[in-house]
Amino acid sequence: MKGEFTPKIVGFLCNWCSYAGADLAGTSKLKMPPSVSSIRVMCSGRVDPVLVATAFLRGADGVLVAGCHPGDCHYEKGNYYARRRFAILKKVMETLGLESERLRLSWVSASEGPRFQEVITEFTEKIKKLGPNPVKEKTSL
Amino acid sequence: MEEKIGVYVCECGPNIADNVHIDRVLDAVSGLEGVVVAKRHKLLCSEDGKKFLKQNIEEHGLTHLVIAACSPKLHELTFMNVCEEAGLNPYLFQLANIREQCAWIVEDKEEATEKAIRYTRAAVSRIRYHTPLEKKEIESNPDVLVIGGGIAGIEASLLLASKDRKVYLVEKTSSIGGMAKEFKQLFPKMEPTSNILEQKVQDVLKNENIEAFTDTKVEEVLGFFGNFVVKVKKKTETEENEFKVGAVVVTTGLNLFDPTKLSRYGYGTLSDVYTALEFERMNTKGKILLKNGNPPKSVGIIHCVGREEKGYCSRVCCLYSIKFARYLKAEIPVVNISQFYSDLCVPGKSYQRFYEETKEEGVDFIRAQDIEVTESNGQMSVNYKIESRKPKTEHRNVDMVILAPAIESSGDSSEIAETLNIHQGDEGFFTEEHEKLGPVSTSLEGVFIAGCAQGPKSIPDSIVQAEAVAGRILSSLIPGRKLEPEVKISEISDAFCIGCKTCISVCPYSAIVFDEIKRISVVNEVLCRGCGNCSAACPSGAASHKHFTFRQVYQEVMEALR
Amino acid sequence: MEEKGYNADVLVIGAGIAGIEASLLLSRSGRKVYLVEKTSYIGGNVIKYEEVFSNMECATCMVAPKQQELLQDKNIELLTLSEVETIQGSFGNFVVKVKKRARYVDLQNCIGCSACFEPCPVSLKNEFEQGLGERKAIYVPCPGALPNVPAIDTENCLRFKKGEDCQLCKEACMFEAIDFTQKDEEIELKVGAIIVTTGFTTFDPTKTPQFGYGKLSDVYTAFEFERMYASNGPTGGNIVLKNGESPKSVAIIHCVGRKEKGYCSTVCCMYSLKFIHYLKHKLPDVKISEFYSDLCIPGKSYQKFYEKMKETGVNLIRSDGIEVSEEGKGMVVKHKSGTGEENGLAVDMVILAPAIEPRPDAPELSKVLDIPQDTDGFFTEEHSEFASVCTPKQGVFIAGCVQGPKDIQDSVAQSEAAVGKVLSTL
Ligand SMILES: Cc1cc2nc3c(=O)[nH]c(=O)nc-3n(C[C@H](O)[C@H](O)[C@H](O)COP(=O)(O)OP(=O)(O)OC[C@H]3O[C@@H](n4cnc5c(N)ncnc54)[C@H](O)[C@@H]3O)c2cc1C
Ligand code: SF4
Ligand code: SF4
Ligand code: SF4
Ligand code: FES
Repeated sequence: MKGEFTPKIVGFLCNWCSYAGADLAGTSKLKMPPSVSSIRVMCSGRVDPVLVATAFLRGADGVLVAGCHPGDCHYEKGNYYARRRFAILKKVMETLGLESERLRLSWVSASEGPRFQEVITEFTEKIKKLGPNPVKEKTSL
Repeated sequence: MEEKIGVYVCECGPNIADNVHIDRVLDAVSGLEGVVVAKRHKLLCSEDGKKFLKQNIEEHGLTHLVIAACSPKLHELTFMNVCEEAGLNPYLFQLANIREQCAWIVEDKEEATEKAIRYTRAAVSRIRYHTPLEKKEIESNPDVLVIGGGIAGIEASLLLASKDRKVYLVEKTSSIGGMAKEFKQLFPKMEPTSNILEQKVQDVLKNENIEAFTDTKVEEVLGFFGNFVVKVKKKTETEENEFKVGAVVVTTGLNLFDPTKLSRYGYGTLSDVYTALEFERMNTKGKILLKNGNPPKSVGIIHCVGREEKGYCSRVCCLYSIKFARYLKAEIPVVNISQFYSDLCVPGKSYQRFYEETKEEGVDFIRAQDIEVTESNGQMSVNYKIESRKPKTEHRNVDMVILAPAIESSGDSSEIAETLNIHQGDEGFFTEEHEKLGPVSTSLEGVFIAGCAQGPKSIPDSIVQAEAVAGRILSSLIPGRKLEPEVKISEISDAFCIGCKTCISVCPYSAIVFDEIKRISVVNEVLCRGCGNCSAACPSGAASHKHFTFRQVYQEVMEALR
Repeated sequence: MEEKGYNADVLVIGAGIAGIEASLLLSRSGRKVYLVEKTSYIGGNVIKYEEVFSNMECATCMVAPKQQELLQDKNIELLTLSEVETIQGSFGNFVVKVKKRARYVDLQNCIGCSACFEPCPVSLKNEFEQGLGERKAIYVPCPGALPNVPAIDTENCLRFKKGEDCQLCKEACMFEAIDFTQKDEEIELKVGAIIVTTGFTTFDPTKTPQFGYGKLSDVYTAFEFERMYASNGPTGGNIVLKNGESPKSVAIIHCVGRKEKGYCSTVCCMYSLKFIHYLKHKLPDVKISEFYSDLCIPGKSYQKFYEKMKETGVNLIRSDGIEVSEEGKGMVVKHKSGTGEENGLAVDMVILAPAIEPRPDAPELSKVLDIPQDTDGFFTEEHSEFASVCTPKQGVFIAGCVQGPKDIQDSVAQSEAAVGKVLSTL
C-alpha cells in the first residue's frame, strides 16, 4: 500500500536475553512488521538516555528498549537502571511535545520468540495509530 | 591510513537469497565512503567462504570488514577468527544480522531487502568508528587467603595449597576445626567425627604450603582479583602481618539463633532446656545428664526454633534432631523421645531412611504448632497444638528439652562484607554471584564463599562448596599464567570526568574506583565485565563502552532512521 | 604429557548443566576435555524449563550463553549421540572406548535452517516434548536446541528402518549436509580423570495408578507441564486441557512415588511452588490446590519464595491417601487430612510431581565405570560425610543428580567441586 505510514522504530536489544529472543523468533520463522531496526547492546542498562533523546530528535517514530526480565539481567541489575532512567525519559519526552507511549521498555527472554513477535507487532500498531513523530514534522516544516 | 572497507553479503543458500535482493544490498553500500569492495557469497561460514574472505582481505588490503549474514550469536566468533588469521584486528569487523532478524521474519521481499540495506549500511557507518582492541595480560599472584578455619576453610586450604601456591588460613578463635569438632557423630551414618576431622586439622598444620594464623582477624583487604594486599592481626600481637594474594575465600561459617529471644521455649529460665550445640557438647564431653546429675527419662526435641523469625528453613535441623535421638537411645536405651516439628525436611537420597530407622527405634514424631515449654511443681512439659479441624492443645511431660535453633550467618559477617566489599543478603548470608550458576563466586571477582557463610547447609554440602571454590580458583588463577581480562570493557577519560561518581554507584561489579588525587573515576580492567551501565549513566560523557561507544551506536541509530 | 607418566585430559560424561559447567571450568584451566553426550543435543533436563526457581530466571537465558560458549570452545571436544562402552586403566591413565552413533547430518555443513524437516513424511511423538508435540524422523528436539543441527532417527526413518529409497530431506538440503553414508564410529580416548554427570530421570507415575496418570486425560507429569508452559514448546506456552480450553482449577500433587522410592527428591516442593507462578502468570483466575505431605524448602531463599506463592491465594492442603478419579466432565482428587478426615476436590487438571530417580541405564554405566550404586540406584560417593564427589574408584568423580536428587545450584556446586578435585590431584 503506497502512501501508508511506515513507522521508523529504533530497537535496542540486550545481548543476552532480548537479542537472543529476537533470534529465536527468526529461527522459528515468526513473521512481523519490518519497522523495527534492532541495535545490539550488551545490556539494556547500556542504553544512554541521550541516545534515545537523539533518536527522537532525529525523527524516530518510536524507540523500543528490550532487556532481560527483572532479576534476570546478565549483569545483575542493569535492567533496573534502565527502568529507572526510563521513568525520567518519559517525562522529558512530554516536555518535548512527544507522546510518552512512543518509548517502550519490554522484557523479552531468550526463549520468548513469540513474545518478541508480539511486542514488535503491537508496538508497530501503536506507533501507526500515533502517527509520525511530531517533532520530526516540526523540524521539517 | 585511508580506510578500505570490504562488505560481504552471504546468501546462506536460499535462506537469505530467497527473501532479500542481495544485489540491491550490494548496490546500496558499494557507493558508501570507504567501501572498496562489495560482494556476495553462497555460504560465508563454510570452509570455502572463509578462504574467500581471507583472500579478499589480503587482495584488497582491507582495513575493515563488514559481513551481512546470520546472527552474531552464531558466527561472530567464526569471522573474528578469520580476521585474526588474515592479520586484521578482529574488532575491525562488524556482522549485520540479515537472516534471523530480517530475511526470516519479514514476509515481503521488498521490505526485507530495505531492512537488510538498513542493517548493512548501519554496520558500514559504525565500523568507521571502530578502533582495534587488543587482549591484555595482567600479572597475578596465585596465593590464596582463606578466612575461617572450619570444615569448609580446611577443605579449601588443603585442596589449594601446593608447591607453587601458598595458602594463608586465618582463624579468629584459638584453634581450627570450627563447629564440627563439637560433634561426636555425623548423620546419617553416625560416623565418628573426630578421626577424620582431626586428621584434616593435622594435615593443615603439617602442610608447609599452608600458613595458619589462629586468634587472628583480617584487618584490611585492598586490591583486586590476582592482586590483593591483605593485612591481618593476631589478638596477642600489636604488629600487623601483610601479604599478597590473588584470591580470597570466605568460610566464616555460622552462628546459632539465640533462643533467649523467644521466651516461650524457656531457654535461660528453665534449668534443663539446652540448645543443640550445648547438647552436642554434653554428649561429646561425657554423659547425657540433667542438671541434677540423673540421666533424663524423657526428652523433647523442638525443631525450627527461630525459623519464623528468620524467615527460612535451616536445612539441617531436622537431620541433627534425628541424630540426637540416636545419641540418646545409644546411651539411655529406655529414654522416651518426642520430636516436635512443623515440616520434616529430609531431602536427598539417604536421609528419609535415616528418619524411618530412627522412628522405628520408638521415637515419637509429633507435628506441632504453637509450642511452649513450661514448668510446674518441678515437672517440665511441652505444650503444643496439633492440626485438626478444631485446634487441640496437648502436652507431654519431659525432663529435658533440646532446642534446634535456626542457623544464622556468623557474627562478623557485616564486618567482613565491609572489609571485602561483598554483599550480604537480607538473611545475613553472603550473596553468591548467581543463584544457580555461580553458587560459590561473588560479584567481586576473586572473592569466593563456601559453607554456611553462603547459607545454611550440612557438612558434606559445605565441603562440596569448598571444593567448588578450589575448582574456580585452580582454573582461573594459575601459577605462571597471566590474567586475560575481557576486551570490550569501559574506560573513563581523564579529561572529561567531573568526578561525580555516578558510574561507581551503578557498576554491578565494583569495578570503578575513585582516584582521590586526580579526583576522577577509574575503571579497573580486571574487574570490568563490559556491561556499559557506567557509560549510560555518566553525565559528562567521560565513561565510554569500548566497541559500543556513543559514536558507534549513534551511527546505527542514524541508519535506522534513514 | 607422556613424560609426566600421566595424562591431564579429562572425560566428562553427560552434557547437562553439571557436565557443561565442569567442562567449561576445566577448559578455562587449559585442560583438554572430551564431553560425551548420549542425545543429539546438550543442556540436559534444565533446558526443558521455561523458568527456574527461586528467582524465576529464564532457563534459556541462563544456559544458552554457556551452551554457545561450550560449542565454540577449542579445548572441548563434544561427542554427541555417544556413549562410553569400556574403560580401562586407572587414575592418570584411563583408556576409554566411546561409541559414537552417526547423526547423518554433517555438523560443519549444516546451517540449521530446518528446511529438511517439512518434507520428511514420518511424523512421531516428540519425546523431548513429552509426547505433547510431534517431530519428524529428521529433527531437533525443540526450537533453540543446541547444537542446532538435526539428527536422523534411524529407528523411524523410512530409509534406515524400512530400506525405502526416501531421500526427501537430502533433496531439501541446499548445503549437502545430509549424508546417509555416515557410519557409527568407535573412538578411543586417553584421559587422566573422569567426571560423571549423567543426571536423572523421573519416576513413572503409571506405577502409582491411584493418581490416574495414563488413564485420565488431563493428568500431567511435571515434565509435561514444564513443556506446556515453555514458550518454545508444543503449545507455545499456553496452558490448555486436551479439549483445548484452559483449566479453571488445577491440583498439584507432591511426592508422587516418594513412598515407593523411599526418599525425598529435594526439588519437587520447590518446582511445584514454581508451577503456581506459571499458572497464575498465564491464568490469573485459576484455582490452585497443592497436595503435599511435608514442605521441604531448605536453604536461605526458598521459604521466601514459598511465602510469595502463598500470597497468590493457593490452597495448600497437607494430606495423604490421595486418589484421582473421573467425575462427570472433570476429575476429583480424594484426600485424607492428618486427622483422618476424607475430602474430595473437583479439578480440571492434575499435575503430578514424580520422584527423581536414576536413569534406566545407570546399572550399565556403573558396570562400565566400575563404581557402585547405592540402594536407590544413585552412584555412591566415596564417603557420604566428607567426600561427596569422589567415588571409591580413584580418578572417577560424580556430580549433579547422578549422585542424588538436588537442585541446579547444588548440581553446579558439585560439578565445580569435581573440577577442584581433578585440578588439585591431577
Ligand atoms: C519438573 C522439574 C522441574 C525442576 N525445576 C527446577 C528449578 O526450577 N530450579 C532448580 O534449581 N532445579 C530444578 N529441577 C532440578 C534440576 O532439573 C536438576 O538439578 C538438574 O537438571 C541436574 O542437572 P544434571 O546435569 O545433574 O542432570 P541432567 O539435566 O539430567 O543432565 C544429564 C545429561 O547427561 C546425559 N546422559 C545421561 N546418560 C548418559 C550416558 N550414559 N552417556 C552420555 N550422556 C548421558 C543426558 O542426556 C543429559 O544431557 C527440576 C526438576 C524437575 C524434575
Ligand atoms: S562497563 Fe559495567 S562492569 Fe565495566 S565499569 Fe562500567 S558498569 Fe562496571
Ligand atoms: S559518571 Fe562520568 S563524570 Fe561521573 S565520575 Fe563517573 S566517569 Fe566521571
Ligand atoms: S540438514 Fe540441511 S536442510 Fe536440514 S537444517 Fe541442516 S542445512 Fe538445513
Ligand atoms: S543483560 Fe539483558 S538487561 Fe542486562
